[in-house]
Amino acid sequence: MDIWFIVSNTIVLACIYGTLAIGISITWSSLGLLNLSYGFIFAFAGYGAWLFAQNVSAWGPAVLAAGILAGALGGVIICAIGFIPIHDKPNFTIRGLIATLAINLIGTQFLLWWFGPRSKNLPDIFGNWSLSLPGAVFTADKVGNVVTSIVILAVVLRWMQSSRRGLEIRAMMMNPHAASIVGIGVRRTSFYVMGITGGLAGLAAVLLSQTYYISPFGGLMPMIKGVSIALCGGLGSVRGAVIAAIVLGLNEALTGMSIGGRYVLITQFVVIIAILLVRPRGIAGLLDKAREA
Amino acid sequence: MSLDSGTKWRNPLFVWGGKRDVEELPTIPFRSHQEVWEGTRQSKTKLNPVGRLRYYHKWPGHGRTMWNRLRYWPTRRRVLRLRGEYNPKTLRAEKTIVDKRPIWWVLGLLALAIAPLFTPGDLQNTLLTAGATFGIYSAISLCWMLIMGTAGVFSLATYAVVGTAAFVTALLAVKFALPWWLLPPIGALVGLVFGGIIALPATRLDGFYYALLTLGLNELCRVYFITSKEFGSANGGLYGATTYVPEDWSQLGQLLLAYYACFGLMLLALLLYRFVNGRRLGRILRMAPEKREAFAEATGVNFRQARVWVFLISSAALGFIGGFYTSNFGGVAFSIFNFDTVLLGLAMLVIGGVGRAEGAVVGTLIVVFFDQVLNTWGPARFMIIGLIMLLVVLYLRNGLFGIKAQFRAWRDKKKSERRSTRAEKGGEMLPEEATETDDKSIIYQRRYDKMTRNHLKTLVSPEVIEEHRQSLNGQHSEALERLLIYFRTRPQVEKYAIMAVERFEGYRIVALSGHRGVAPRVVEDRIYSTPDEACHGVFMRRVQDLLES
Repeated sequence: MDIWFIVSNTIVLACIYGTLAIGISITWSSLGLLNLSYGFIFAFAGYGAWLFAQNVSAWGPAVLAAGILAGALGGVIICAIGFIPIHDKPNFTIRGLIATLAINLIGTQFLLWWFGPRSKNLPDIFGNWSLSLPGAVFTADKVGNVVTSIVILAVVLRWMQSSRRGLEIRAMMMNPHAASIVGIGVRRTSFYVMGITGGLAGLAAVLLSQTYYISPFGGLMPMIKGVSIALCGGLGSVRGAVIAAIVLGLNEALTGMSIGGRYVLITQFVVIIAILLVRPRGIAGLLDKAREA
Repeated sequence: MSLDSGTKWRNPLFVWGGKRDVEELPTIPFRSHQEVWEGTRQSKTKLNPVGRLRYYHKWPGHGRTMWNRLRYWPTRRRVLRLRGEYNPKTLRAEKTIVDKRPIWWVLGLLALAIAPLFTPGDLQNTLLTAGATFGIYSAISLCWMLIMGTAGVFSLATYAVVGTAAFVTALLAVKFALPWWLLPPIGALVGLVFGGIIALPATRLDGFYYALLTLGLNELCRVYFITSKEFGSANGGLYGATTYVPEDWSQLGQLLLAYYACFGLMLLALLLYRFVNGRRLGRILRMAPEKREAFAEATGVNFRQARVWVFLISSAALGFIGGFYTSNFGGVAFSIFNFDTVLLGLAMLVIGGVGRAEGAVVGTLIVVFFDQVLNTWGPARFMIIGLIMLLVVLYLRNGLFGIKAQFRAWRDKKKSERRSTRAEKGGEMLPEEATETDDKSIIYQRRYDKMTRNHLKTLVSPEVIEEHRQSLNGQHSEALERLLIYFRTRPQVEKYAIMAVERFEGYRIVALSGHRGVAPRVVEDRIYSTPDEACHGVFMRRVQDLLES
């Protein structure tokens, strides 16, 4: 009973965190940009989905698609404002970090000013049914979350492996300089990358909004968790992000069960620091100097 | 030489009855070399008028006074860096202030010290409260600047340290009724312990991985303090600590006391900044900037240890500020852990420019002004701060105080671009080459040669060639004479000569090697039957080379 509960919680959390962390990880490894405006994209996508549900249609899949599209739009906006002007300037890493933080500050305050501080909630996307198995009950949102995130992540990873654009992105991940020499434009590819990762953030926003509400600052906690999972798994590694998402999801489920929800962050950071002290570049991260720039 | 109507050349020796002399020959009109000279020397790019590039005040007189140097007491630093020199024009002894920053500091601090006297009555409350906040926040920014600028550790947990120290001291003060003067030292202790704990991963992680970790750490502190009962999760913060502001004073008196106490805190932080950044620790760390750490390590600089030291010192100072924060406000609110607080703090550093004390103070002033004084604007003021931050990051290299250096670098770039557009190719030296040539006369010689060639190119015409074919020797027209003189004065290397294949029968053109013992090189297969024809052939080749150069 307990074990089943922990396992199911772990899987749900790992799916959502993995979606977040993979987006951050892909952005970092292909563009070298640490996107700390992820929280803003998250809230932006949530509000996009909410507006769609209010004004157009409350049909689940359509709301989900609207959230993903709004997230992609947010990513493209960040790319145009925060990446394109500075990616060829000196000290880009720290500059990009600060620029995305500034965009985050502006964007969340804008959302606060436009939509007000009251949080919104989305309609049930996956309906209101539940699945009873011996030992555990799976509610609609849990099953829906897991299935949707796994399907969409699989589609994205498949696209990255088999399509022309995916090849370009992977080339940029390996060596951005060499990629630009053979004609893979950093600017054009960056729009694809930010669109995709923004879409993943939008997906996570809609999925999480089944449990939490949408608020201007609601993206902060998912962003911090996503960033720390990406960091723990090794920035730039999809495999590492998945492993770290499972480890930290398990940690969160166990902590929540045994000593209470308020200690989740503490145990999470103890785990992350322990992992980083052993492997400074994360679980599956590249070793020092293996990837320049 | 006289020219007849510009198109005919009259041979002055004709009247003497030379053997093959002709009376007159068609030629080209006179062209002055002055035109080419002026055309070349003329600037083709628009030149903007520029004033004096560096402006210094010059004070008359130096001598013995130059050596009577006033120094800050425990340091060997001089109050003002002066340079004594002789004015090359007037030969008068002059003093120049090389670094005017101390003057600006003194003026700025004086202005802050007397500012309360000039606040308008209806704004006194807002402005003095904002001033006190500015004092505390600039002290925090200065300590953070030590971590981020001097130590080069990109830490975002600064407000976590301050907040933890503030909450712990507030809890102790409430529980044990501690006096207010005990809070800052206790806070320093708490800060030292907390800093020591978070310095542990800093030794292993790269700056920017560490930033991510500390970002999460801040959130961890927030969640922990908000959810714990003893820290007042019910009422949004922990209040009720003793404060140094006496309650029986008038409101203005209380405000002024808080203002000057916070101002004093800022001065202490400035002192700490100066003592860490400007002395041994700071110098060790300046030896090991980003990407040159391996070099510094190889030369025996233990920068890791220095980093940890700076980190611990500033963590203790941040804890001290946290304790002071509690004794100033009588408590602390959870908002100190907010992500927006961290962002605003980062904005303070970034707007001013990372790595400078004046950047931290002025950046804090700007942010606090928008945040506290314009607080009726709602979310708009955060958007303005974010926008300033974004623009600074996008367009400035190192904040507002880096503008001067950035502008100078840009102007130097533009100057060198203009210089390189002014130099043309064609034998002339390019600017980069010219700066590396020791013998500057070579530069001018090449330039002169290029201008000569440009002039001579205008003289080549069918008339002149025909004239040379008709009379190789003797008097020539002005144009031909100039061409021939130029050709004759060329150096020996690759100079054309005539070789007799068979005397009076066949001649061919060769190029001299210019080196003793090295045979000349055959230039073309053609064999001329007379020396005159070969001579004209050499002339044609030289004209060809001239036109191609």
